[in-house]
Amino acid sequence: MDDVVRQILSRRRFLQLTALSAVAAACSPSAVGTAIPGGPSSAPGGSAPGGSGGTAPSTTAITGTVNVSYPDEAGLKPKYVEQAAAALKTQYSGVDVKIDLQKIGDDDYYTKLLLALDSGTGPDVFHVGGSSIGELADASYIEPLDDYVSQWADWSQYPDSVRSGVTYKGSVWAIPYGLDMRWLYYRKDDLQKAGLPADWQPANVQGILDAATAVKNAKEANVLPYALYAGPAGSSGTADHAFVPLLWAYGGELQDSSGKWIGDSPATKKVMAYYQKAYDGLSPKEILTSTKPWTAMREKLGNGQLALLFEGGWVYGGWFSADKAGTEQNVGYLLHPTETGGPSFTIGGPGTCWYISSRSANKQGAWEFIKAMNTADIVGKLNAEDPHPVARKDAADVAEYKASKYNLDATAALEKAKFVPPDPGYSKVIESIQKATARIAAGELGPDDAAKRYTDDLTQALGADKVTSL
Amino acid sequence: MAVGARRSLGRNRLYLAGLSPAAFLLALFFVGPALWALGSSFTNRALVGLDAANPRFVGLDNYAHLFSDPDFGRVILNSVIFVIGSAIIGQFVLGLLLALLLDHAQRRGFLAANFVYGAVLLAWVNPTIIAGFLWVAMFDFYNGSLNAGLGVIGAPPVNWLGQGPMLAVIIANTWRGTAFTMLIFLGALRTIPSDIYEAARVDGASAVRRFWDHTLPILRPIAALTLLSITMSTFGTFILIQTLTNGGPAYQTEVIALYAFHEAFQNHAVGYGSTISVVMLALNLAFAIVFLRWSRARA
Repeated sequence: MDDVVRQILSRRRFLQLTALSAVAAACSPSAVGTAIPGGPSSAPGGSAPGGSGGTAPSTTAITGTVNVSYPDEAGLKPKYVEQAAAALKTQYSGVDVKIDLQKIGDDDYYTKLLLALDSGTGPDVFHVGGSSIGELADASYIEPLDDYVSQWADWSQYPDSVRSGVTYKGSVWAIPYGLDMRWLYYRKDDLQKAGLPADWQPANVQGILDAATAVKNAKEANVLPYALYAGPAGSSGTADHAFVPLLWAYGGELQDSSGKWIGDSPATKKVMAYYQKAYDGLSPKEILTSTKPWTAMREKLGNGQLALLFEGGWVYGGWFSADKAGTEQNVGYLLHPTETGGPSFTIGGPGTCWYISSRSANKQGAWEFIKAMNTADIVGKLNAEDPHPVARKDAADVAEYKASKYNLDATAALEKAKFVPPDPGYSKVIESIQKATARIAAGELGPDDAAKRYTDDLTQALGADKVTSL
Repeated sequence: MAVGARRSLGRNRLYLAGLSPAAFLLALFFVGPALWALGSSFTNRALVGLDAANPRFVGLDNYAHLFSDPDFGRVILNSVIFVIGSAIIGQFVLGLLLALLLDHAQRRGFLAANFVYGAVLLAWVNPTIIAGFLWVAMFDFYNGSLNAGLGVIGAPPVNWLGQGPMLAVIIANTWRGTAFTMLIFLGALRTIPSDIYEAARVDGASAVRRFWDHTLPILRPIAALTLLSITMSTFGTFILIQTLTNGGPAYQTEVIALYAFHEAFQNHAVGYGSTISVVMLALNLAFAIVFLRWSRARA
């Protein structure tokens, strides 16, 4: 009996260990395929130097298949991607375009893409955030586009500020279609019920918390006063839509002049104190545990169940297309206030960009697709539906884009935008910000200790030589 | 003698032929990846950034880093609480009690027993991710069934996953895994002939006495096996917690498997994530060895 049991036990143990190995295996993306086929990039053949731009047929025929991969949950991009693919196929009869639309979130898409690129099986063209340029270029996953843009007449339509956003180590790496900017959104109806004016403006950062408190005290059924992203669940929004603008509002910076990341500082402590107040009954703690909490928060602001939210400018498009009149009437948008003054700045970003894989076997075809996808017409129409300030100037003249006052406001606000430094370490900094804000929001640490732990997290993630505190 | 040796070689050959496919698959899907993870744990391999282009050998840096990681102690503690709560107290004890109850009911021909049996089994046949979403639907603050129920009786909603995250994931995992323990114990209980109990009852033994003297000795070896099995699989639990809380809030439900996943695939630090999974493997091996020694010493 016991012998039998022992044998079963060993076998059972084996089975368990095999099951366990799934975790080990999960942590081991294919070790093969690290060789880089193709070698250095072939000089772009095709259009003659100084050629007449995007639509001019190339002297060398483009052939083969172009694999295009992009994520889209909102469903606004597919028709334009199809349109660009069709245009490319019409222009070059030998070209086939295979489109891989991934209906998943940007974070999931990015991880999936990295695993594919790591194993050498990625697409020719892909579409991810411009803030990834540094780390993608450092990993040699992407192709520098200098040779391509230098022969593209339309490149002159991209202002220097846009170009510098996609430039890293002296090269251009990606083509943006719309830039990111963010607003402090507020519900006029909710604030009015709390005794505040419809054209409310905070006198300073504290003014946001004061308004939230007023909404809370008004005890309207089913209305949350305020949402402030925190923790890993908030994804990059925890940094870009909460911590970083607050840090700037309190006079802090992410990096010092030598490029070291700043951990604990007087401004960091003030941000943590702000978080503590926000999570003392104003902002819902579900943000820490929900999956994609922004989905619920955006929806709630759109239907009046949330009074205050700092979010991406593009979010307005969802509310506007669902309820045009209601959104215009009830959703107000402002710049971010500072410690001592009213709304005056926002946080910008290069938005989601198009990249060419360094291992693409059809780089010229890939570039032609990017050109077809970024005509003034498509950029203008896409940004009219998915509202961002347009990346190329002439797209602002597209009728659909010009028609909306909101688009003009967002484009104007971009002049007040401050940008996160283009540093490949930023994604590690975001992780540290998520940890630090989770601790303060969950009530585990006070502001001073949370700010100190932020330094520790940065040091842990980036190394002591890249971190400082003030 | 020579004949005996030849005969045993012949028999061994048969064993070898029978075992080699399993050994091959094990080498391919366990030993290979485990060795890869071990090798990777000595590098700064990453999915993105400079370290992705040129991973370097960093010796024991990742391990030093891990053991000075202020979150790691928390993660280990969470794993231990989760295993004790959901595997030992939840699945094991509850599974045993359910099995005893069902066995008793079935021996008495109680029809509802089959219904209970089916209900418990239903929880188990769901894929883990579906079980996870079922509990999300239960616990969710805004749209969850529990808060909808509270709303009906006029009570304010409760932030279940925020206020008691560990308890919530323990309850979900217990619900999901109890059937396995129950099935095993029920199978073992059915091997006990009814006349043993009849005889004991005739001798005037109480129910507790009958359980202690007759049931428990027969269940003991199978109980040891079950305990080892569910402890190790619970230690590696990942999908259920990822679906429910994703480790939050603030690492309150971050267990070791989830931590390895987050480091490797969310933070793209493959070397560091591998280090965590190697430590996890070592802990599981140590547990298995201690457990096997202990059960052998008792035999």
